[in-house]
Amino acid sequence: MVDLIKKNAKSLQESLFSSVGSAALTIATTYLVINFFRGMLGFALTSDKDWLAVLNNMQLYMVQAYPEEDFIRVWLSVGLTFVLAGLSIGIWRSDDRVKSSQVFNSFFKGGLGVLFFTIIAPTNSSFMGNDGSVITEEVFSMETRLGILIPVAIFCVIFFSIRFININFTVNSSDMVFFYLFIPVALLWFIKLPTIQLDQNNERIIPDPVMPIADTTKIPWTVIFVSFLASYFIGMYLKNIKSIKSIMSLSWFLLPLLIFSWIFKKPQIDMSVVLGSDLPIFGAFLLWGFLVITFVNNSIFKKYYSTYLGLTFLLTLVGVFSGLPMLAKTCLLLIALFSVVVPAVSTSSQGKRSLLIVWAVALVTLTFLLRGGASDTGIVVPGSSIFGGFSLTWLLAIFGTYVSFPLGVLLALGRNSKLPIIRIVCTGIIELTRSVPYITWLFFASVTLAVFLPAGVEFNLIVRVLMVTAFFSGAYFAENIRGGLQSIPKGQYEAADAIGMSPFQKISLIIMPQALRAVIPTLVSSAITAFKDSSLVTIIGLFDFLTIGKTVIGNQSIPVNFVGHDRENLIFVAIVYWIFTFTLSRRSMKVEKKLGLGER
Amino acid sequence: MSIIQTKDVKKWFGDFQALKGISMDVAEGEVLVICGPSGSGKSTFIRCINRLEQHQEGQIIVDGIELTNDLKNIEAIRSEVGMVFQSFNLFPHLTVMQNITLAQIWVRKKNRAEAEEKAMELLERVGIPEQAQKFPGQLSGGQQQRVAIARALAMEPKIMLFDEPTSALDPEMIKEVLDVMKELAQSGMTMIVVTHEMGFAKEVADRVMLFDEGQLVEENTPEEFFNNPESDRTKLFLSQIL
Ligand SMILES: Nc1ncnc2c1ncn2[C@@H]1O[C@H](COP(=O)(O)OP(=O)(O)O)[C@@H](O)[C@H]1O
Ligand SMILES: [Mg+2]
Repeated sequence: MVDLIKKNAKSLQESLFSSVGSAALTIATTYLVINFFRGMLGFALTSDKDWLAVLNNMQLYMVQAYPEEDFIRVWLSVGLTFVLAGLSIGIWRSDDRVKSSQVFNSFFKGGLGVLFFTIIAPTNSSFMGNDGSVITEEVFSMETRLGILIPVAIFCVIFFSIRFININFTVNSSDMVFFYLFIPVALLWFIKLPTIQLDQNNERIIPDPVMPIADTTKIPWTVIFVSFLASYFIGMYLKNIKSIKSIMSLSWFLLPLLIFSWIFKKPQIDMSVVLGSDLPIFGAFLLWGFLVITFVNNSIFKKYYSTYLGLTFLLTLVGVFSGLPMLAKTCLLLIALFSVVVPAVSTSSQGKRSLLIVWAVALVTLTFLLRGGASDTGIVVPGSSIFGGFSLTWLLAIFGTYVSFPLGVLLALGRNSKLPIIRIVCTGIIELTRSVPYITWLFFASVTLAVFLPAGVEFNLIVRVLMVTAFFSGAYFAENIRGGLQSIPKGQYEAADAIGMSPFQKISLIIMPQALRAVIPTLVSSAITAFKDSSLVTIIGLFDFLTIGKTVIGNQSIPVNFVGHDRENLIFVAIVYWIFTFTLSRRSMKVEKKLGLGER
Repeated sequence: MSIIQTKDVKKWFGDFQALKGISMDVAEGEVLVICGPSGSGKSTFIRCINRLEQHQEGQIIVDGIELTNDLKNIEAIRSEVGMVFQSFNLFPHLTVMQNITLAQIWVRKKNRAEAEEKAMELLERVGIPEQAQKFPGQLSGGQQQRVAIARALAMEPKIMLFDEPTSALDPEMIKEVLDVMKELAQSGMTMIVVTHEMGFAKEVADRVMLFDEGQLVEENTPEEFFNNPESDRTKLFLSQIL
């Protein structure tokens, strides 16, 4: 071990002090860095920090004012997502293995991080009481600190030294996901977070032993973790079932819709409308699409296809201005657009089948959204749009990407299409959305969009924001993807043609995979931008994660006066943003590396 | 009975006429070599046979089906006609195995095990079974071209088209590809080969054609073509390349 330290010291010396010049450079740089970050270091090392505002407002940060009796919906949504994730990890379980030394190393580093934060955590917290006097409370006692420090230090030493013992085993990298998640969930049962609340007499109940965050979340998280693990095993068991992968992909596609309606709505759907109007319309259009797909290549029908298209468009035009139910109008529009695409794709039975699935899913989605979107929410949150905080930021990011990515793929393909009408429409959408600032679109969503929607259809502000976000980032995705498409040599198209692939197979199996691969870095940076830009929604009155930290908590005076506690709140917000974007960019680097194998 | 028949095929790129009326027949099992100076329309012509290019006038009938704009016909013909390109055009994001099984699974609707078995058989035939799990980028040019041949053969085509299959290869790799092609010709495959490998033409071809400026200038047996050419154009061409 001594040898090892010597060796390390030597290599350090070689890399930093190899010559006079580099030694000078090292010293100068160190000096500059320390000076530059002096304020930050000073902040980290003083006890003049107050994380109470952050800790005390965790719930606000997460869901803002979402009613507590409906939390179960949020938990169920999170749980369902984890179950699906578990199943998917099980089904797509990779054979990659991680070396034990790597695992130990990451434990060691994680332990060091915990040590660092435990050491710099403040002992006392002072805040202004309701009467204006400054109150100082001990929030992190020496015992607690040592209680964390000692075990973690031992833990670190163990994992540091274990690297020198020759233990060699490997762990499946999929399994590791569960282990890493297990640690924070387990910690919820041990770590006590000091928070301050008021009792009935409006007297403060001071810190310990209350710790609402860990207390209210440890059970749900544990249940979620257990279901996650269980679904992982189930996934491995289901692995070999035929077409399980397609089913999973479809479930992933439908999940956000479910969650979305689930969180926004208590089902207050009028069944008589559903049965009397929605279902028949749905059925009729399903049949219509089915007939078009089946008979489009029939020689007689083909001859009159352009007549059929013309009639459909005419009918749509008439239909839109008639008194038909909203669903019928949108379905008409959809079938008209769909009929344009069908002949090109429906050339093989494979293409037909995929078309049928696409058509069914599109109809289900549309029906669901229109019925759900038009019904009353049933969840009433005074003075706010259902919820804010991290949930909102997350929702905007995930749902935004989820809708805008496929939209981007379609727009990119459309812009490269040979049919002029499709090309013009797609180019128009892309150029229009890109040339107007995002903030303008946000105002558009909050103020003007309602005017453009048909009478009687009213969407929640968040839904409207999602609609414009989808198009806005969709346009950026489309341009990125188009760049990827242009990098594919013509020979690839020809090779796919020459082995008899249908246009649909060619695009989905040969062209798209390569195009997307070529633009992963730009796609990821677009996604990161979209994630961060979601904080702009504050200007139309939505309370995203950042707004909670900056504005809401900064103006809070009950139960404790947190006015002006911006510093710690902003640091907390920044750290959370950083964790997510950093993870995303690291993951994408890994994916890139893995795919790099197939590069030319 | 001829498996490919073309009558007076004409093709324009804008104002430029690349094919000026090509009429020919290929019998089943025949090996036809097409040569001619660069830009004479050789590639354009054989690409018309599987509709990678559209001809504007004339008729092309492949295996009894006439090439029209009908998508059904095009796909039917493409699955009967394999093509090997000068630049290989393997799918770089897929392994060699996946390159060969892809069309079997998606176009021929075979199941995976069957497709892989067929792929291994073909890889043995072209002499690189050990490369199955590699990506195209990890192979030499000659190996890539042999994979490309295997990929085309996996569709069990009746006809194989080769567009200068050895032109992009280093000299030492040309032989390994030509050997595979010779073996294929001996097995009775109908082949149209655009090439400048005159050795191959002499040894394997049943007939040799010379294209010049979009026209079929000479059509002859290899012996006659090389030893006793009819047209002056052929003599000039042979004197330039031999
Ligand atoms: N896509 C195209 N657009 C315009 N001109 C083309 C195109 N493809 C080929 N040509 C022209 O057609 C002629 C014949 O080309 P090609 O068939 O590739 O010749 P070869 O294969 O005999 O060298 C050339 O003059 C070439 O410039
Ligand atoms: Mg050529």
